[in-house]
Amino acid sequence: MKGIKNFIFLFAMIFVLAACTNDDSTDPVNEPTKEPTNSSTAGDNNKSTSEKAQELVIAVNENFISMDPHNTGDTNSNSVQSAMMEGLLGFDAEGQIIKVLAEDYTISEDTLTYVFKLKQGVTFHDGAAFNAEAVKTNIERITNDKSLRLYSRGFNLVNSIEILGDYEIKVTISEPYGPMVTRFASAKMISPKVIKESSDQIPKSPVGTGPYKFSKWVQGDYLSIERFDGYWGGNDRVEKITFKPVSENGSRVAMLKTGEAHAIYPVPAQNQEELSKAKDVTVNSVPSTIARYVSLNTFKKPLDDIRVRQAFNYAVDKDAFLKVVNSGLGEPLDSIITSKTIYYKKQQLYNQDIEKAKALLADAGYADGLEIEIWGNTNSDTMKGMQFIQQQLKQIGVKVEIKSMEEATLSDEIYGAQTPEEAKLKMWYVSWSAYASDVTNATKPLFHSVSFPPNSANTAYYNNPETDKMMDEANSISDEARKTELYANLQDVIYKDAPWIFLGVDEILYGVRSNVSGVIVNPGGGLDVANAKIN
Amino acid sequence: MLKYIVKRIVEIIPILIVVSILTFLFIHLIPGDPARLVAGKDATLEEVDNVRKSLGLDKPVVVQYFNFMKNLVTGDLGTSLTTGLPVIDMFKTRFMPSIYLTFLSMFWATIMGLFIGIFSAINKNKWPDYLGMITAVSGISLPGFWLGLILIQVFSVSLGILPTGGLDGLSSYILPSITLGAGIMSMIARFTRSSMLETMQSDYVRTGRAKGLKERTVILQHALRNSLISVVTVAGLQFGFLLGGSVVVETVFSFPGMGRLLIDSISFRDYPVIQSSILLFAVEFILVSLIVDILYTVLNPKIQLNT
Repeated sequence: MKGIKNFIFLFAMIFVLAACTNDDSTDPVNEPTKEPTNSSTAGDNNKSTSEKAQELVIAVNENFISMDPHNTGDTNSNSVQSAMMEGLLGFDAEGQIIKVLAEDYTISEDTLTYVFKLKQGVTFHDGAAFNAEAVKTNIERITNDKSLRLYSRGFNLVNSIEILGDYEIKVTISEPYGPMVTRFASAKMISPKVIKESSDQIPKSPVGTGPYKFSKWVQGDYLSIERFDGYWGGNDRVEKITFKPVSENGSRVAMLKTGEAHAIYPVPAQNQEELSKAKDVTVNSVPSTIARYVSLNTFKKPLDDIRVRQAFNYAVDKDAFLKVVNSGLGEPLDSIITSKTIYYKKQQLYNQDIEKAKALLADAGYADGLEIEIWGNTNSDTMKGMQFIQQQLKQIGVKVEIKSMEEATLSDEIYGAQTPEEAKLKMWYVSWSAYASDVTNATKPLFHSVSFPPNSANTAYYNNPETDKMMDEANSISDEARKTELYANLQDVIYKDAPWIFLGVDEILYGVRSNVSGVIVNPGGGLDVANAKIN
Repeated sequence: MLKYIVKRIVEIIPILIVVSILTFLFIHLIPGDPARLVAGKDATLEEVDNVRKSLGLDKPVVVQYFNFMKNLVTGDLGTSLTTGLPVIDMFKTRFMPSIYLTFLSMFWATIMGLFIGIFSAINKNKWPDYLGMITAVSGISLPGFWLGLILIQVFSVSLGILPTGGLDGLSSYILPSITLGAGIMSMIARFTRSSMLETMQSDYVRTGRAKGLKERTVILQHALRNSLISVVTVAGLQFGFLLGGSVVVETVFSFPGMGRLLIDSISFRDYPVIQSSILLFAVEFILVSLIVDILYTVLNPKIQLNT
């Protein structure tokens, strides 16, 4: 009996220990402020609107990776950073470039020199002044540290950074680079004091000039930011925002319903209807720059034949695709870039025409059909998409074998091939998103012959000297009329060449409680909470 | 006893070295290039190479292994490839919540499991037995994510008395621990029942009864005590698995624990985090089995620990 008592006692002790020490269990990684988190639970849901009105809780689908704005690749981290740090330029609600910390800017005709006049009276959250010296320190960090993502995104071309005055700075690059303006917009300014004295803190607790300052980040649980009362743009916004990564769709939706979250992003398409009916909840939709397509390896048989590729395009019903795979959301992909992307030109859609598709296949010598593999990751939406393609192509006698691989394995299979000859890839069900303001990133990595894997993401191995030339020229000039013409031609030629099965453009859904305003999502998928309010 | 514990703890070291070598080899053998994953699918080859160099992934695997072990000795678990944060910092916030969740799940699962098991055994083939076993079979058959979502719907959305997830006080542990413990509770109930039934057939129980001992004394002091040995083995094993295996529950309840961290790290091929997490799970597993061994002697002093 004593043994049993010991046994139960041991468990009881552990239980008590667990219960008592619960609140200490989340020793934060970084905690400049000592106050506890205030995120509401369903239990105090009713009082949350009055007592906790000044704290906004936003549930997002993925974890935040890093708070270093110069080294960020994921949209979620970027969204949080944008509330704390600002660039010389930035993006508006449509994803186009606007001036932020730059009062004005000029680009030389040869597109090599960028002169920025800076806003005055701006300070960083740590009190450091924002001036030309601060900008220089930031750009030097990006151009000197090769491991930073932004280094290779244009800043590796920076030749010189010259201070022209306290609030004026000139940056010269070595060769023309079209998306440089977008790069400046994504290069957010960090306090020079932090860069010089404690750069190891940047990924954990950044210091910028934004409307919110960093508060606390408990890895995997939440990240909160507080209003910066010294912000140059006024203070009409909520006091505190807590971001919570909630990957399970059902749980995220439940949080919005119970009021535990004031906003959730994204809303799973299948829950749109259910949430629209819920009380005090609004579901908003935004056309995105996310293009869905099947990349066709134009280097290998049978896809080296344009007739086969076009036949595949004619075999697929784009509206059915949106209904079946995207829950009826979005629009057909009617160009090689999305309609929100700058220089977009609508193309004549490949409407489903089974007879035409069969005729094209027969013409190419595949009257009896053919067998082909399609690759994709293990995501359930991807699986659904691949099965849809399989079913559609079956109508023209094409037997598609689905091969789904875990993301890292898939990436290795695709980028492991050093030459087009080595590539085993035939068809890849995938998506691509680029900044709405950056047409280069929406074209060059996907269609330029220098971008074959492993160099970049031209997984269709699309090789056309004519379009290469167009992209190179458009990338190196500032003449808007000529650029528009070049990109229009580029879209005409490539869309006709059909290196992809063009499927659809996603629509982004996000949900907010009806007492919340100022939470918006831009076409690139970034959350903008700079003007968030609880009414 | 103390000598035995010290000996067992010292024995952990070579096991950990073997585990570390195996994990290091395995994670480098599986396809997937962390540099490519960190850099993103729109990255150029130059960018991927820069990332690879900056992460030290361009060095031979053996060198990487020795660097890892060298740092480990000084308590440095390295830096995450994806977040750039020290691995130890990432563990700090996730380790204890995972431990508490596991203990809490085990606690109620053990109590409930024993209760149902004993009750079923002494009422064999009567309605309490059927009820108990239906509960046990349900607990083991319901998938964790389904049970979790149902609990959220009932207790958070409909009744509004418990949070849907996250970690905000003791209330955040209730639904995840019920979800996590359900399977274990069922297993313990079933083992307790069958083990009790078997023990109750044995000679010493019959002798006890023949001696005129009260039924309660026979069951609790003689039958249960001996039945517990196999129950403890099962519970111990499950406990070890729970520590790292609560991924589904952690995902459904967005609970910031070690399971999710490990899964995220595997999808990013974040070598330092994977390596350190697995070593940590190995230590936990070994310690749990040590505790189980000690519990054997508490339950049955005739079992001698081999010192």
